[in-house]
Amino acid sequence: MLTVKKISKAFGPTRALIDVDMEIRRGEIRGLIGENGSGKSTLASIIAGAQFADSGSFELKGKPYAPRNMVGAQNHGVSMIIQEMGTIPGITVAANIFTGRLEEFTRFGFINMKAINRRAAELLQEIGAGDIHPETLINRLNFEERKIVEIARAMVANPDLLIVDETTTALAQRGRELLYRLIRRLHEENKSVLFISHDLHELMSICDTITVLRDGIVIDTLEKEEISVDRMRSLMVGRELSGSYFRSDYDGSYSDEVVLEAKRVTSGILEEFNLELHKGEILGVGGLSDCGMHELGRVLFGIDKPITGSVTLKKNNVQVKDPHVATKNNMAYVSKERDREAIILNASIKENVVLPSHRQLRKVLGLITRRSETNLTNKQIETLRIKCRNGKQICNELSGGNKQKVVFAKWLGKESDILILDCPTRGIDVGVKAAMYKLMTELKAQGKSIVMISEELPELIGMSDRILLLKNGRLQAELRRSPDISEKQIIQYII
Amino acid sequence: MRATAETIDIQEILNRKARRKDLLRNIIPFSGLVFIFVFFTVVTQGKMLSSSNLTNLISQCFSVTIVAAGASFVYAHGGMDFSIGPSCGVAQLVAALIITRSDLPIWLAIAACILVTVVTSTMVGATSAYLRVPVFVVSLCMRAICSGILTVGIAESDIAIDYARFSGFNSEVLKAVVLLVVIGVSYYLFEYTSLGKYEKAMGGNVVTAFQAGVVVKRTQIAAYTLMGLCVGIAGFFQLTRTAGVTGGSGSGLEFDIMVAIVLGGFPMMGGSAARLRSVIIGALTITILSNGLVLWGLDYLLVNGVKGLLFLIIVAITYDRTNQNQMNFTSA
Repeated sequence: MLTVKKISKAFGPTRALIDVDMEIRRGEIRGLIGENGSGKSTLASIIAGAQFADSGSFELKGKPYAPRNMVGAQNHGVSMIIQEMGTIPGITVAANIFTGRLEEFTRFGFINMKAINRRAAELLQEIGAGDIHPETLINRLNFEERKIVEIARAMVANPDLLIVDETTTALAQRGRELLYRLIRRLHEENKSVLFISHDLHELMSICDTITVLRDGIVIDTLEKEEISVDRMRSLMVGRELSGSYFRSDYDGSYSDEVVLEAKRVTSGILEEFNLELHKGEILGVGGLSDCGMHELGRVLFGIDKPITGSVTLKKNNVQVKDPHVATKNNMAYVSKERDREAIILNASIKENVVLPSHRQLRKVLGLITRRSETNLTNKQIETLRIKCRNGKQICNELSGGNKQKVVFAKWLGKESDILILDCPTRGIDVGVKAAMYKLMTELKAQGKSIVMISEELPELIGMSDRILLLKNGRLQAELRRSPDISEKQIIQYII
Repeated sequence: MRATAETIDIQEILNRKARRKDLLRNIIPFSGLVFIFVFFTVVTQGKMLSSSNLTNLISQCFSVTIVAAGASFVYAHGGMDFSIGPSCGVAQLVAALIITRSDLPIWLAIAACILVTVVTSTMVGATSAYLRVPVFVVSLCMRAICSGILTVGIAESDIAIDYARFSGFNSEVLKAVVLLVVIGVSYYLFEYTSLGKYEKAMGGNVVTAFQAGVVVKRTQIAAYTLMGLCVGIAGFFQLTRTAGVTGGSGSGLEFDIMVAIVLGGFPMMGGSAARLRSVIIGALTITILSNGLVLWGLDYLLVNGVKGLLFLIIVAITYDRTNQNQMNFTSA
């Protein structure tokens, strides 16, 4: 179906792809894996016409193929569902699906909306989402439904090659099944799928072959019988990883001393919520994405002001009323929205790392010397093994995992005692994940307290001393650390 | 596959390219300044360097540079202020009234002049921060208010002050000292203290800055207050040089500052790439340009038009069009 020949691409001094060769056969479901920054998304978007390669070429169905844009690629039979493209707000579902193709429905300068809506309805029906009405404004759909609309958009031109870029991370069960069905159908019609995901189990269950990328180079391509989670993991990281990377102990003990207390907090969906965080505790908070756990993190750090109730630091009996008070009292917060909230992308590693630590670095007349900044940064780069040229490198050039390390670095450099981590391992690869878990275990041993908000159940079970499970803004259950907790048990409480 | 000699070579080339790009970005504004200086010196057959013109140049660049140093804090966090021209005019009006209509000492006139601009600028910053109105709108309103006050103040006639009495303020030595002090203090605050670093962080990502514990509103307002201070200082010197207040007092200052910002390579939206030296270079460039154009024979009335055109060209070339969303998409 598709032959990729010596594709290379660089962003500034960062080489994203280096002479990539790949062949996708007809009817094949090909998995593409690699750590963040390994180049998988770049490769996918070049195939789909969203970006251009610096060198190299493609052959599609035996003919040279060089898409100029995504619609062009679609017309050649290559469609992509993108990681984080999103839909266009303010217009209808149907208009979203046919974005860029309205000419096909235009006569004498008038758009035939009826025909568009009819086609959109058919298309949604076909992919098994007949309940989404084409004339609905896109804003009224929830996140998952919008993602499904994106899937429909990719299917408009009836593609021969469908590229799925980490779409399932955004989908719950229903959406996933819809996508799997679609993939199976394409397979039966002898069409091809290129599937990109971080979820190795998922990849194993749906892919025929899996290509592994590391640092922009194709490391290996595994056939069905060679595929195993451990094999993929070690190929991605480039060294052997032990089977489990969570805490190995089941000693869920912590000090009796309460360091942070939330009392009857109401904010957003959260209702009269109570919480006590102890010294040396890893407190897991879990639930569905809209259960109120992310709001909880924001309220604990003073970003959102609660409507009722309060958050108090027990040591000095200080109310956390804004992030300024929180940071002053050695609290830290890692937002779930890394690129939007937790890091200044256009600033250097140094500027990011130093930002919350000014108070410690200040000398007479408010002087902050270059040397003190550099020392602080270099120490963190070293301990966290941030992959970069030096502290002056702009964060935008780093891979996702390394950006996350920078976010951690800024709070560790400040020697924070209470860490509120909202989805700390979201979208980062196994290697960095393992490092983060190890770090959390070390912090606990040092007597620091952590609130770990997470949508990943294995992580909650594997790391927490105590797990709070939320549903619709209320506490549903509290579980203590034990080897017997199962994901099934948790799901019962949160759904 | 291992890193072969070839891939290392390519990496080396890419690194070199990136370094060269950085270097160019730093060098272009400076070489622009040198070029303009040399160009006008040549086309005016050295008139540019005559002692009377150099004196002129110093006093012209004096106000723009001082105000630009203050404005850098505002632009660093992504703010702006269109009201500084008219508010500078009002400050001069107040000072002139104190001088002509009362027996109060001169230092009180100076203090009043500075106080007026500090208050108006701080109000612009504070209104925008606390009422959550775009600063663009607030500063336009303040501009209208200040122009109104100035128009009323000189409704009967322009106000003249005794030039001879204030000739001390026109000494080049005093100006040079004031200029160096303002630049020195600003440089220290901007590059070596939390204030400047916080402003840049806010320009980079205000949410991140807030979550890192930066008191965003206070930091924003401080930038405006500081700029107001600089406008006031520049205003009093302008008053003593022109020896009076007219409808044109202070006018065009905000635009000169904006042109200085872009000419110096200071990012319009602020952020990490903001450097104080950029605005200083920009301020010098715009002064030499205005001065040179007039010397070359361009009608003084056309100078603003040329500046506008130049502003558009430079912005079109240098404006950073990559928004963060696009960044994510391309670098994913």
